[in-house]
This record gives sequence, structure tokens and C-alpha cells, in this order.
Amino acid sequence: MKYMKGLLLFVTAGLFLAACTEYRLLERISLVTLIGYDIEDDQIDATTVVRQINPEFESSVEIHSETAKTSKGTRVKADLKTAKTLMAGQLRVVLFGDELAEEGIGEAIHTLAMNSEITTSIYLGVVEGTSKNLLESEYPNITDIGQHVFNLMDHNIKQQQMISSTLHEVVRDIYSPLRDFTLPVVKKEGEYIDMSGIALFQGGTMVGMLPASDSFYVLLIRQNINDGTLQLILPADLADSTKNKPKHPPKNFPIAIDAINSKRKIKVMDHSKNEIDLTITLDCRLLEIHSSLAIGDQKVTEKIEEAMNKKIESEITRIIKYSQEVNSDIFGFGEHFHAQVRDAKLTEEKWHELYPKMKVNVKIETEIIRSGVVE
Amino acid sequence: MKNALPVNESQLINAPLLFFIVNACQIGVGIHGFQRLIYQDAKQDAWISILISFVFAHFLIFIMIKTLEMFPSNDLYGIHEEIFGKLIGNIFNCIYIFYYSFAFLVNIKNYIEVINVWVFPNLSSTFLGASLLIVVIYAFNGGFRVIAGICFFSFIFTLWVPSILFIPMKYSDINQLLPVFDNPIKDILKGAYSMTFTIIGFEIINVVYPYVKEKNKVQKYAHLSLLATLILYLAIMLITLTYFSGPQLEKTIWATLNLFSIIKFPFIERVEIITICLWMIIILPNLCLFAWSAHRGVIRMFNISAKKFIWIFSSIILICMLFIKSRTQINSINDIFSQFGFIIVFVYPLFIYLIALIKKSLLKRKRTN
Repeated sequence: MKYMKGLLLFVTAGLFLAACTEYRLLERISLVTLIGYDIEDDQIDATTVVRQINPEFESSVEIHSETAKTSKGTRVKADLKTAKTLMAGQLRVVLFGDELAEEGIGEAIHTLAMNSEITTSIYLGVVEGTSKNLLESEYPNITDIGQHVFNLMDHNIKQQQMISSTLHEVVRDIYSPLRDFTLPVVKKEGEYIDMSGIALFQGGTMVGMLPASDSFYVLLIRQNINDGTLQLILPADLADSTKNKPKHPPKNFPIAIDAINSKRKIKVMDHSKNEIDLTITLDCRLLEIHSSLAIGDQKVTEKIEEAMNKKIESEITRIIKYSQEVNSDIFGFGEHFHAQVRDAKLTEEKWHELYPKMKVNVKIETEIIRSGVVE
Repeated sequence: MKNALPVNESQLINAPLLFFIVNACQIGVGIHGFQRLIYQDAKQDAWISILISFVFAHFLIFIMIKTLEMFPSNDLYGIHEEIFGKLIGNIFNCIYIFYYSFAFLVNIKNYIEVINVWVFPNLSSTFLGASLLIVVIYAFNGGFRVIAGICFFSFIFTLWVPSILFIPMKYSDINQLLPVFDNPIKDILKGAYSMTFTIIGFEIINVVYPYVKEKNKVQKYAHLSLLATLILYLAIMLITLTYFSGPQLEKTIWATLNLFSIIKFPFIERVEIITICLWMIIILPNLCLFAWSAHRGVIRMFNISAKKFIWIFSSIILICMLFIKSRTQINSINDIFSQFGFIIVFVYPLFIYLIALIKKSLLKRKRTN
């Protein structure tokens, strides 16, 4: 009995002490933080940004570029070039060149989703030009380009200046038959990297692009937001409503607002007529306005709100029109349609037939909740 | 009762512990990926399927306890022997022993598969199985009260796990649940049937019953326990349905683990790795209880000590595990097990209840004559 107990203790202790199965020492691995995929003569060209941790020196960043038939193939090739094992667990961003995006990235995204090593919270993006060019360029102000691109996307998405494109959301939209996905677009701009726009996809292929300045509107249609800044140019006739008219009336009144919160309502009016009512209420904070417009005056505020409504309405209508032209339902109207109409029996083909012809009645109700400390 | 095995007074447990035992036995590996199975049939009404399956479960646990109450201080194995006699009763007992062993195998195999896919792709599954079995043997040797204690601790230590599942809710879209009741009732019922694999475990009451001190409180705690499991499953289902899009969910094998994988804390980036490892604490009482239930049946046929039994049992399980290798094989044993489990848990208790009723009334008539 005593012997048995001793044996069991020995075995358990042995298991615990020698249980380091697949250890990953930080100094002996290299961390992949960013991967960029391009297409080159029907082959995948992967550019990986690898961070090497070295206990003696400063950690370094290496960039490898490999071409192979599959994305795993490129990894094997990259492994052949590095002294330390490549680990993708710290991957944060995956970029796709625009040529590849136009060809289709559905399969690449499927591969990413299949891999349990990668979390579903990584960001995806499209590069204007090739990602190889973007990543391999010299930037005097950027030491770690992987971290830089991640921070660039992360803070813009968190502040709701850019649409969110985590792997989870993209996979969710790509598999949903009644919805298409969007990705942010990054671009090399001299010595800097810019977020330059939003790419619209249909299925897995890029079909269009909107400038970054439209991203606030896209967000407004896609979800309820509580952050994000917008600048609007209101017409000059606003000056008529104010008491102290400016001496030199400007040609128009540029204003800037900060969204406090927004609420969108989508109602299917008449599904046989294929018509949707989109109502967005937006509470905002005025950040910048011409000094001659007195905010304290109820009438002036109402006038400004009215002008804002009109402006935002026209912009949103334009963006929805564009998405209908390229037939990419990035706002998920199809899902609302399916949710509100019983026995709709919508299929992907049917929805893509209906969507370009759909009529969307846009109505915006803005309210200026507060302005700055002076009136 | 002539067929009751003597239960040592010191091995008895209080009725409230039954709550943890039934709960621990229900929550196992099924919770990792039950959403997909139900969604395949019931689509966005999958949560209704869960409600329906729990209505049935409540009814069945009521029947089970009613049956047990007819033969107090006896478990199902004893009832078998009492109703059918020693020989036929033991055949039925063998089916039950086989069921518990099968449940043991399915649980351990599924858990190892999850570890292999998510954490250690290259670690030998036999090694993992052997080390898990050693822990089970150790716990099993402590006796029933130790197992009940493990159930209690596994509940307490894992209370925080469901609460962090509210974090992914920021990606939820309530539209995914609409329109409600858009699927034919037949499909919703089919979904409820697919719940079998996840919901079973409460039949442990058949074996635990003689060990409970306050017999009149058994109904109360068994139902409370089912209710707690229902709340957990329903919450996870609703979060899953709103978080994933339909076709995405159909492709996701372990939806619950995928929910974890988007959670990021400043101090730990990969929460799913932690939860998978922690899941061992949830699996352990399952395994112990299944092994213990099988043991309760076996000792009616052979005079075998608990120690000898668990070593033999573990070796058989280890050998069986060697034959199941690929995902498709695991899926097919899961399917077979859930069909088998459906009969054992949802159909058979009704049958035994009827037989017991008839037997009792016959006996009464005999006595009055």
C-alpha cells in the first residue's frame, strides 16, 4: 500500500516536472506580427514582418518575402530563411494587395479562420498597390512597421473613424448570404502610411472603394456609434438667420461635429415594393463653427440642425447609391429584410438581384446636445 | 429492500450537494460546440429547441425520481434486479454499465481532441489520456464523498467562465434571432433531439439517489440543478446566435471556444487557451462520476474492490482510445453515443417507470388476496 502511494506520487510529480511539452521560449522564436499577401503570376506572394527578441541586443524587425502556391507554403519557405521558428500567435494584422483583393480573398480568409493559432480579433485590411511595396519601403520615422500598422488601425477603429474589420466580423459577413464585408484601405503616402479609404466587397472580391472621409457615414449606417468626428460644409444662407451678421460673409460655413451617440432604425416598409426606411438619430457635440453663428439662439440651432440633416442625408443617399451600383450590401440591409419579413426565402442570388433596385428612404434627425464653453 | 447494497453512513451526502453533482455531470464537453448541431436543424430558433429539450429533461428527472422513490435506499441497478430478477436484471445492468463507460470514453476523447486542436497539436493523445486517467484514478480512490467535493469545487472554480462570455456581446446583432418561429416545428423538435449529447448527465441521479441523506429534498435540488444548466446553455446559445452569422456557425466546430478567442485582456491575450486548460476541472467530475456509476453496477455482478476496478476500467478505456484517431471517427462515436443516450435517458426511464408501477400494483393485489 505504502509502495503504491509512493509510486503514484512519483508518477504525478514526474508528470508535473517533466510536463513541458511544446515550450516556446521567447528568445528562440520569432514572432510574426504582420502578413501581407499579394498575387504574382497566379502565385501567392507573402511578405511577413517578423519581430526577433534578443536578450542581449535591442529586438529587431525583419521583413521576409516569399512566393508559393499556398499561404502555408510561403510560411515553410520563410521558415527556411530564419534562424528561429516562426510563430503566428502574435499576428495582429493581415493585409491584402489590391490586385489580390480584386481577384478574391475568400479562400485566404477561410484559411485564416481555420487556424486555431490565430485569434479572431486580428485586423484585416487592403493595400492600395502591393503590400510588399508598402512593407519593404524605408520609413525614417517607423521602427517596427508591424506594430505601427496595427496601432494605426487599432486607434482609428476604436475611435470609430474607420470601420472595424476584425477577422471575426469579416468571416461573419463573408459567410452570411445577405451581407457583404468591407475592409479599410491603407496606402503608402511618402514617408507615412495613411488610411485612405474603405474597400467594398461582393462575395470575396473587391468591387469598389470609398474615400476615408466617407467612413463616418458608412459607420453611421452600419451600426450605432458613440464616437467619431465629422466635418460638414453648410450653405452660406445660414448667415441670414443669425442676428449679428458677419461683416465679410463667408462663401459657406464649414462645421465639425463629434458624435455622442447615434441610433439607426431600419424598417422594411413594403417588401413587395422592395423599400426600406432608414432613420438615424444623431446626438452630437459642436466642435467648430463660424463665430457669427450664435449657438445659444434656439432658432439658429434649429437652422443648423436642418442644414446638417439635409447634408448628411444627401451624403448617405450617395453612399448607398454607390454600394447599390457595385452591388455590395455592406450595411446588412439584407439581414434586416430577412429578419422582418416572414417566409422571405431570400437567397444570395436573389438578394443581389433585389439590392441594386432597392429604394432606401433616408431620414436623419440630428440634435446638437452641446457646444464648447463660449456661445 | 433485499437488493439494496449497504451504503456506509459516513458516505452519505446532504441533498444540496446534489445540485452540484447533477450540474457537474451535465456540463462537460458538449458545451464546447453544441450550438452548431442544433443550428443545423432549428436555425435561428435554436434557443427554443433548448427550452423544449429542458422541458423534457425536467419531466424525465421527475419520472426517474418517482421510480426511485418506489424503492427507497436502492439505485437503478437494484431496481432492475428487483423487477426482472437476478439474470435479466443483470443484462439491463450491463447495458447501463456500458452506457456509463461509453460516456466516459466520449468525454475524455472529445476533451483530448480539443486540447490537440487548440493548444498542443503535436502532443500524443494517448499520453494526454493516460495522464488524465491517472488523475481520475486518484480522485476515484477517494470515494464518493471526494467525488462530490470535486463537483462542488468544479462549479465554484468555473463560475467566472460564463461571465466573461458577455464581452463578445459587443459584436452581437439581435437581427440574427429574427424572425422568431420562422422554422417548421418539426425542425425545432429535431434541434431539441440534437441537444441530447449536451443535456444528458442528469441520469446520474439513478445511481446517486441512495447516497442522499434527505430523500424528500431530492426533487427540489435536481430540478434546481437542471434550471441552472438551462440558464447557462440558453445564455451561451443566445450570445452565439447573435455573434455568429448562420452559415459561419455551421462551419464552426467549437463555437464556445471561438467566442472566447476574441476576448483580450491586458494581462492575457489568449483567453481560450486558459479556459481549455481549466476545462479539465469541469471534465474531471464527469469522468469520476461516470467511472463510479459503472463501478456501482459492476459490484452487483462481481465481487471486486474499487481499486482493482478502476485500474481495469482505465486500462480498457485507454485501449479503446487507441482505436479512435481522426475527427470523423470522433464525430461518428459522438453520433452513436447521442442516439444511444437518447434511448437510455429519454425513453427507457418511462418504460421502467411503467413496469415498476405494474409490478407494484400486482404485488399489492397479491398481498390483499
